[in-house]
Amino acid sequence: MTTTTPQAVLAPARAKSAADSAPARRKQGLQHGGWFVAPFLVLFALFVIWPLLRGIYLSFTDANISGDGAGFIGLDNYREALHDQLMWDALGHSAYFTLLVVPCITVLAFLLAMLAHHIERAQWLWRLCFFIPFLLPSTVAGNLWQWLFNPGSGMVNHVFGLDTPWLTDKSYAMLAVVLTTLWWTVGFSFLLYLAALQGIPAHLYEAAKLDGANAWHRMVHITLPLLRNITGLVIALQILASLQVFDQAVVMQDFGPGPEGATRTFVQYTLEEGFTSYRVGYASAISIIFFVIIAAVALARMWLLRNREEGGR
Amino acid sequence: MGRPGLNRRQLITGLGGAAVAGSFGFAALGSGADALASSAATRVRYWNLFSGGDGYNMIAMLDVFRKEHPDIDVKDSTLQWGSPFYTKLAMAAAGNRAPDLGVMHLGRVTGFSPGRLLDSWDVGLLAKYGVKEADFNPALWKRAVIDGKLYALPLDIHVQLCFYRKDVLGRAGLLGDDGRIVPVTSPDEWFDVLRKAKKATKKGLQTIGMWASDQNFQWWFFVAFYTQLGGTWFDAANSDVTFDTDKATQVLEFMRRHITDGYSDPGFAGGAGAEQFVNGSPFCWEGNWSVPVFSGAKVEYGATPLPPVFGKPATHAESHAFVLPHQSGRGGDTNEGAHRLAAYVVRHAQQWAAGGHIPAYTPTLSTAAYQQLSPQNEYASAMDHQATEPKVWFAGSTGILAQRVGPIVVSSTLGSAKPEAAARGMKGMLTELLASKNPMDGRTAAQAGAAA
Repeated sequence: MTTTTPQAVLAPARAKSAADSAPARRKQGLQHGGWFVAPFLVLFALFVIWPLLRGIYLSFTDANISGDGAGFIGLDNYREALHDQLMWDALGHSAYFTLLVVPCITVLAFLLAMLAHHIERAQWLWRLCFFIPFLLPSTVAGNLWQWLFNPGSGMVNHVFGLDTPWLTDKSYAMLAVVLTTLWWTVGFSFLLYLAALQGIPAHLYEAAKLDGANAWHRMVHITLPLLRNITGLVIALQILASLQVFDQAVVMQDFGPGPEGATRTFVQYTLEEGFTSYRVGYASAISIIFFVIIAAVALARMWLLRNREEGGR
Repeated sequence: MGRPGLNRRQLITGLGGAAVAGSFGFAALGSGADALASSAATRVRYWNLFSGGDGYNMIAMLDVFRKEHPDIDVKDSTLQWGSPFYTKLAMAAAGNRAPDLGVMHLGRVTGFSPGRLLDSWDVGLLAKYGVKEADFNPALWKRAVIDGKLYALPLDIHVQLCFYRKDVLGRAGLLGDDGRIVPVTSPDEWFDVLRKAKKATKKGLQTIGMWASDQNFQWWFFVAFYTQLGGTWFDAANSDVTFDTDKATQVLEFMRRHITDGYSDPGFAGGAGAEQFVNGSPFCWEGNWSVPVFSGAKVEYGATPLPPVFGKPATHAESHAFVLPHQSGRGGDTNEGAHRLAAYVVRHAQQWAAGGHIPAYTPTLSTAAYQQLSPQNEYASAMDHQATEPKVWFAGSTGILAQRVGPIVVSSTLGSAKPEAAARGMKGMLTELLASKNPMDGRTAAQAGAAA
């Protein structure tokens, strides 16, 4: 034993540790890692898990805002919600907003990214211009566009020679919110696209060029396919964010629901039920319904994506 | 690990614990400092919802009070107006952390669980500090009484007004000898006034701004004109809807006609109406809180209550009122201090009146100082012609009633629903609301009606 080299001693030891101490190490990792994760877990439990569980519980009660005297009422809140026209209207408004915003923002972000990617001069300036609105708080963006859409002195009607009652007519009010949102948030998706574009190896284009592919062919056969994943990501993020539209809409309508309730979104309706009508139990029930809808959309997307990938293989 | 004492993990845990404990310590220190500051005087914690010009006036009034009452330490907090304020007040009252004094809209008091979330005023104590029932408009005082007890002490009423530009109306020959708008007593007379005013108006400006797309304003205007017609909402027991769809249709048609006859431009339906007024549009219907705005803009203007086109004068009125949020141990010096502060502010509301509100304490209205305020002196009579929402739990400023019925009024004014259909829709909504239960106590308006 004394003549064995250190390597010889170490080798079986290494083999041994690889063979039977993996669970031990995992356990040890849990012991140490647990402490590192703990601060986050505590906050997560306190501000996400607990409110979620509490919300589920409250949705079965007639709790009011004062927090006392809540009684268990079973599924009554959910039953009421199914027949609540205002809730369905609000859901419709959020869905309408999503249907308009998601395709527009995806296409626009892609086009802007292509533009910024291919312009040689002052690229930083373009990047900055397209991205900077995203850095504004929603209240600033909303207020800004409230002024731009002002019927008398606003720039939108002035520049385009229009006479459109953007914020006061129910058929335009949500459109105004959509336009504001496009301007405000396109920068984020733009950045994702730009990063993806810059990640496409130049030699692919070079090879295609040598093979005689023109710019259109290069975009259709190289750029678009290689951006498929990022497009999926952009769409997914946009759908989830758009369904939760709230702040810019209420700011633009001075915290009201817009003309004839045209911009009352699902989140706003939940807020109204909880904090204007004081019906915390009912507000919890409809937010659980909303949660289920959003979760269903997210799952459906994942399922579609997986099917497509498997189909592609 | 045979080593005793501190290992690294224990040290970190200990430090973390110390940090947490330290932060609690600071918190405790904070409240300790408060306690020290107030030990010299009776401390009255007062929550209000006044920001902007109102807030400035309120703070100035509190400063005068502080100077005159060094023994009372007023700790005032201004919270965001509207639902956030009521939410905080309700939670604080339920959790027994309520301030000593608060402010609410009078219309919201009925729905705010008086008796449970609000404590009643000691009328004797108020009288000791110079405030008694006889000094208030009887209808206003009655609205503050629930279950035979006073739950709100009105500070003001704020009303919807018809603002008019004297320069334009002068050109149109619509000013009387007193320099005020000619009296109007019927819809025809009113539209005649609008027709003449329109001729004297610069191009590109509408004749009247009426917040046509805003559910709150449209609802307030409806309440005013519907009350002029003698319309009612519910029976005395709050068990039946007495809403008169014929009268409502008449009002809705009247409001709609401003748009169809081309006097109000739907494009300037919102806050743009006030901008147009400042730029030379002859009329706008606005709350009296716009008085400082228009005075500041150096507009030559007057303001009357909404025109009594249906005969009886009436304009929509809400009221800011002092309330005593529920405290299980309410009483003693602090409670008396709250009474004293509220009584003082109510009696010294001259500065408040400068902001456009009509002081609820009627002796103020007859003072020379108040009567010199213009245009306040032109609309102070609104105190005797208040059109108010019904006294039910779902009413009150920007409450559920306005939120549900307001959009129906808007749909008629803007033309997406016929007035008769909208009137029926309003009745349906009122019926639904009357049958619904107050989430605060699980009672319908009828069940609470016996109490109110």
